[in-house]
Amino acid sequence: MSLVSPEFLLLALVVVTALAFDFTNGFHDTANAMATSIATKALTPKGAVTLCAILNLVGAFLSVEVAITVTNAVIRIQNPDGTPIPEVMGDGGGALLLILMAGLAGAIIWNILTWLWGLPSSSSHALFGGLIGATIAGLGFGGVKWTGEGYHLDGVVGKVILPGLVSPAIAIIVAMIGTKLVFKITQGVNQRYQETGFRWGQIGTASLLSLSHGTNDAQKTMGVITLGLLATGTWTDTHQIPFWVKVACAVAIASGTYLGGWRIIRNKGKGLIEISSPQGMAAESSSAAVILTSSQLGFPLSTTHVATGSILGSGLGRKGAEVRWGVAGRMGLAWLTTLPAAALVGAVMWWIGNLFGGATGAVVVFVLMVAGWLWMWLHSRRDPIGRHNVNDEWEAEGIAQTSDDVPVSQEVTQ
Amino acid sequence: MNQIVAALDAAWRILLIGVVLGAGLPALFSFGVRAMAWGTGGEATNHDEGTLPPPHPVGRVIGIAVFALVVLVVLLGLSYIVAHGLGYNLVFNGGLPAFVPR
Repeated sequence: MSLVSPEFLLLALVVVTALAFDFTNGFHDTANAMATSIATKALTPKGAVTLCAILNLVGAFLSVEVAITVTNAVIRIQNPDGTPIPEVMGDGGGALLLILMAGLAGAIIWNILTWLWGLPSSSSHALFGGLIGATIAGLGFGGVKWTGEGYHLDGVVGKVILPGLVSPAIAIIVAMIGTKLVFKITQGVNQRYQETGFRWGQIGTASLLSLSHGTNDAQKTMGVITLGLLATGTWTDTHQIPFWVKVACAVAIASGTYLGGWRIIRNKGKGLIEISSPQGMAAESSSAAVILTSSQLGFPLSTTHVATGSILGSGLGRKGAEVRWGVAGRMGLAWLTTLPAAALVGAVMWWIGNLFGGATGAVVVFVLMVAGWLWMWLHSRRDPIGRHNVNDEWEAEGIAQTSDDVPVSQEVTQ
Repeated sequence: MNQIVAALDAAWRILLIGVVLGAGLPALFSFGVRAMAWGTGGEATNHDEGTLPPPHPVGRVIGIAVFALVVLVVLLGLSYIVAHGLGYNLVFNGGLPAFVPR
């Protein structure tokens, strides 16, 4: 009796890997909506991740918009109608599946590494980066759509680089103005009274952010999985996403969110600035307004960049507030390196997978990815950050950054 | 080059609307907090030693009205996200929001 066919095994691995990416996307981005609410105690850590997870779940189901052509933004493996191009359809779609597999592995590894460092890097940049790297390895530089034509924002330049530069700047300005206004208007109001009032405002704006995250981010994984199904002929409708894919992606992103990326939440909520709840509300309103306006105008930005920019702006807007530029600089560095780093990992993964070929190659890539994940997870246990210590006082050198280069208390006293 | 122009063109629109909504909402909320503090009186406001300001019921009414407006704006935001996901666009007909199929 034969077990599963190699084709099925390859497809199954791609689906599982895509869902794993969706999961990392969830915990990587919990901080975007909830870091400030947790830091100002508007919500308890557990309450915050629960609310955020539920809204992400609902949001994932809300978008019926077809997201099948998601990879078309940066690489050329799909026709405009969503079907895969013939060049990648060799071995019953195996060529395309290997690109997806390697790209997703690259994105996941970078997402987990930046989580270990506590850096809020963009999950969509990681996904696009991984796919770009795998595509270059598999199809050459011509497989990448570097820039759009005319005034239509497209390609790596129009969909990733330019929005990545512009959107944090906008968020900083908006949050700064908002914070200045808030403190001007509430002059004369007792500080404790203020804190309580603004906490309610924060819960409202945090909910907006969580819901919009669910509608935007889960879609990308849905698109990637459906592309894999189209390549193998398992699914043929380019106008719809299979219902089970929708359910699986919604559950993956919501459970990732519920897990909470505490290392990132801590760095964003406590590390950048000492945030008060009026600042928190100003930051979250700024993020929500910028994100919703951009989605109305079709401007593709990263939630992570906007949310971080807003927190920074709310620090700049308050007189006498201290902004920890060292932390901000590290985050900025992570933004610049996310795309090329994920691309490099994606390319290496494709090369390794291609060396073995077919389902064996995919299994090797999968095993390497899981090994990397395990290694990083074990590393994180040296200085665990969770619900219990996410709000601890920030010390000169925060706990999350030192984990990689300084072996914390390496059992000197044996 | 055209791509940069296109990005900057989108950027100033987002900045403009972002400032109006993103800075306007917390500003509005601040008016609510301030009105409530005035309405509550006592320890809610900063005051001189020994003289507790009296409560002003009008302040509470204004405060609640402002908070109701903030809730409305947040609800509008939520319905925008929902409608956008379901394939509708938000348009403003003479100032009133309406959702039309894309």
